[in-house]
Amino acid sequence: MTVKDYLCYFKWIYIIFAAVGLLAIVLHAGHWSIAKAVDYQRTNTACQTKERVFDYADVLSGEEEEKLRSLIARREKQTGCDIVLVTLNEPLEEYARAVEPGVDSSEYVRVYAERQWEEKGFGYDRPDGDGVMLVDNWSREDDGRIHTWLCTTGRARDAYYTDDIDHLLDNVYRYVEENPYRAYKTYVNDFYHDMLGWRLFHMNVPGFLPLLAGIISCVIFIALNWSSKGGKKTTTAVTYVAGRQPRFPVSEDRFLRKTVTSRKIESTSVSGGGGRSHGGGGGHHGGGGHSR
Amino acid sequence: MLFKCKNCGGNTVYAPDKGKMYCPHCESIDSEEKVGGNSLVQCVNCGAPIQLSEYTSACRCEHCGTYLIFDERVEEPFKPGLILPFRVSRELAVAHLEKELKNRLFAPADFLSAKSLEKMEGVYVPFWLYDYDANYDFAGEGTRIRTWRNGNMEYTETSYYEVGRKMEADFERVPVDASYVMEDGVMDLMEPYRYQELTDFEPKYMSGFLSERYNQREDELADRAEGKVREASENLLQGSLTGYATVRPYHKNLRIHKKDTCYALMPVWQYVYRYRDKTYQYHVNGQTGKVVGVTPVSRAKVLAYGASVFVMVTAICSLAVHVLEIL
Repeated sequence: MTVKDYLCYFKWIYIIFAAVGLLAIVLHAGHWSIAKAVDYQRTNTACQTKERVFDYADVLSGEEEEKLRSLIARREKQTGCDIVLVTLNEPLEEYARAVEPGVDSSEYVRVYAERQWEEKGFGYDRPDGDGVMLVDNWSREDDGRIHTWLCTTGRARDAYYTDDIDHLLDNVYRYVEENPYRAYKTYVNDFYHDMLGWRLFHMNVPGFLPLLAGIISCVIFIALNWSSKGGKKTTTAVTYVAGRQPRFPVSEDRFLRKTVTSRKIESTSVSGGGGRSHGGGGGHHGGGGHSR
Repeated sequence: MLFKCKNCGGNTVYAPDKGKMYCPHCESIDSEEKVGGNSLVQCVNCGAPIQLSEYTSACRCEHCGTYLIFDERVEEPFKPGLILPFRVSRELAVAHLEKELKNRLFAPADFLSAKSLEKMEGVYVPFWLYDYDANYDFAGEGTRIRTWRNGNMEYTETSYYEVGRKMEADFERVPVDASYVMEDGVMDLMEPYRYQELTDFEPKYMSGFLSERYNQREDELADRAEGKVREASENLLQGSLTGYATVRPYHKNLRIHKKDTCYALMPVWQYVYRYRDKTYQYHVNGQTGKVVGVTPVSRAKVLAYGASVFVMVTAICSLAVHVLEIL
């Protein structure tokens, strides 16, 4: 087989790859054109700050912060929403319980996020208006977990349901431990796509799945093309039977008896450790959280 | 014996593509005349010495290239009742083989040279064709299972049936090769042949090909035929037990009875190829063109194609996930 044969053999895979790639390009272009067509003017003049990246946990380099600021500035104009990122590295129990006594440890970050949002007057159209804030507290609370909260208000709150928030936070958590910058960039870009896209699918595809599909396909492909037997059997049980079918002078299926057994179905409980916590924010805030 | 052309005296052969006797020297059709002679040690045409195995019934003289047929090995008690004349010509057999090997993706690029394919030989392989009656009595207990849910309870209903079958099947012309040199597994894979084209034996069909008389008697090979009949009967009966989750037999009785046997010659193109100090054998069914034979595997090709599939499938899946994310 020559290189030409090789290329020809895989032509369908190339075509599929090109089609999917083209679709991706078209979708990106669609979002881009929608974003370009809309030109949101920020009308909130009461906001106390122009800062959007508050890296108190110091998990980002100066350069990374700058890149995020630049990206956020662009995405804010395209979505008409304030996009805020806060990283912390401090226990929030005292802070949260002072505001909401008895609040659960999984929602300390919620209290913090909502309070900060209101105090600083975020909102693209007005104070407490359209926008989203991600608070990622790298400090472990008493429950031993790191909590993250996505706080949504205004149009973002209307557009974002629990599944959407789960999806976005799953994507953030996919990278946050190894590469916080990539995780927070994903947060900004996912929000942009979610606000401009149709959001038909809420895929939480594990990162290893394409790799697994590749390995399985490779193994099947090699097994199918490995000619160890030298030929296929092309006779069947009826090949040499006269008339191509046997006769059945007797073919009886007589019902004898019936037994019925039953068992109780154990209900599956929601998993605990390593799981996630959700909660709708009180009042006009929406949102949801994850922990790791 | 041999067949000579009445017009030019050349050796006429049976041409599969024409279905007639053909003289390759003067291109005459059906111009053959039988020339007698029954020496097993020298060529009837040129007198050169020939060396035959115990079973050879037709061969080609290495000196003059004439195809010789040995009367005493094609007459009683070795006279075949039937013969399936070649339908696939050498050129077509080569094309079938090349096509098959092209489909074998992992065969080395330099495997099989076109020049050496000229050495492909047509061989009539001796077969016994057996007729059997099979009667199968079966009785057992079958279960059918149905499950459903109601609230937080799951119910399983198991219905028990008494299953009875009486099966009758007439097996006709179950083939078993009667040649030591042909591997049984390979000859089994050559099947099936289209028996409608079987015809009464005539020596002229052998001209142009090699052949053997049967190496083993029909009673010596009956066990193989019975094994095929038993396996097929078992499969047929199992095929009638549909709809059951389990079937527990408590009575099985398969009786098979041999009715008739026929000695026949079947056409096979044979090609032996030596590649990197190893011999590879290929067989092409001389009637249907089916190819059987193992090819070597090129590790470089396995690696290249396997890696390509892995990379491309992974890339497509990643891209698809990305598209769904955007959507």
